[in-house]
Amino acid sequence: MDAVLSPVALKRALPPEEAARGDFYALFARLLHNAPDAELLGAIASAASIPAEGNAALAAAWRGLVDASSAMDADAGLEEYEALFAGVGKAAVSLYAGFYCGAPSIDHPRVRIQGDLAALGLAIRASATEPEDHFAGLFDAMRVLVAGGAARAPAGVAEQRKFFQAHVEPGVAKFLDALARARQANYYRQVAAVGAAFFALESESFQLD
Amino acid sequence: MKTTKSTDRRKFLLAAGLGSAGAVAAVATAGNKVKLPAAEAAAPDPKATAYRASAHILKYYKTTEV
Repeated sequence: MDAVLSPVALKRALPPEEAARGDFYALFARLLHNAPDAELLGAIASAASIPAEGNAALAAAWRGLVDASSAMDADAGLEEYEALFAGVGKAAVSLYAGFYCGAPSIDHPRVRIQGDLAALGLAIRASATEPEDHFAGLFDAMRVLVAGGAARAPAGVAEQRKFFQAHVEPGVAKFLDALARARQANYYRQVAAVGAAFFALESESFQLD
Repeated sequence: MKTTKSTDRRKFLLAAGLGSAGAVAAVATAGNKVKLPAAEAAAPDPKATAYRASAHILKYYKTTEV
């Protein structure tokens, strides 16, 4: 009898630094998608520190976020999230990349994001109610490219860099700066600090390869 | 050479402390019980009332390309 061969799915473990990048993207996407709940605050509050002998800015900012998470409760988190990002009319801080890139009404970044996501075999979730240039969506796409998911393996560095430089890098520093300066920000000022340190590393690392 | 550059990038990330940032893993898992917007094939829901990348919107987007 002939042997029946079925395809074997090889699942390579990600190197720790790549896994950490994927985790950072997942965390930022989550914190920008909606307010941290009690479970997430508890998880961050009890997280281990990042060694200070590495990137000092990232280590210090992470410590700040861990401390803030232990002092924060979910109700206050929701209130702050809504004061920053929601509200009728103009939000205090825009969550849309296009806002920071001076998005024109023609050739809007949403058009290019859709096209680039499709080329990567990705699309915005059918249940999502946010446009494509929401930072949570962009970070979630980066998470999938870095760590794999949504039925695809991790992307190579070249593909990651292309998406990052086209859609994340042009607006992310301005967004995090606006978030850090917003008078409504307290907990999210710590999130912005971790983000600023992390995305500075990302930009620099993509210059290397 | 490509290999050298890849090694540089890895060295850079490891030196930054990302290799030992397992701290973030548990946090990311706790956060990811919420479904995030991207990363799934989409089939527009015709009954949706909020923003959707509907066929109509996609068609409009197409007209904005330069």
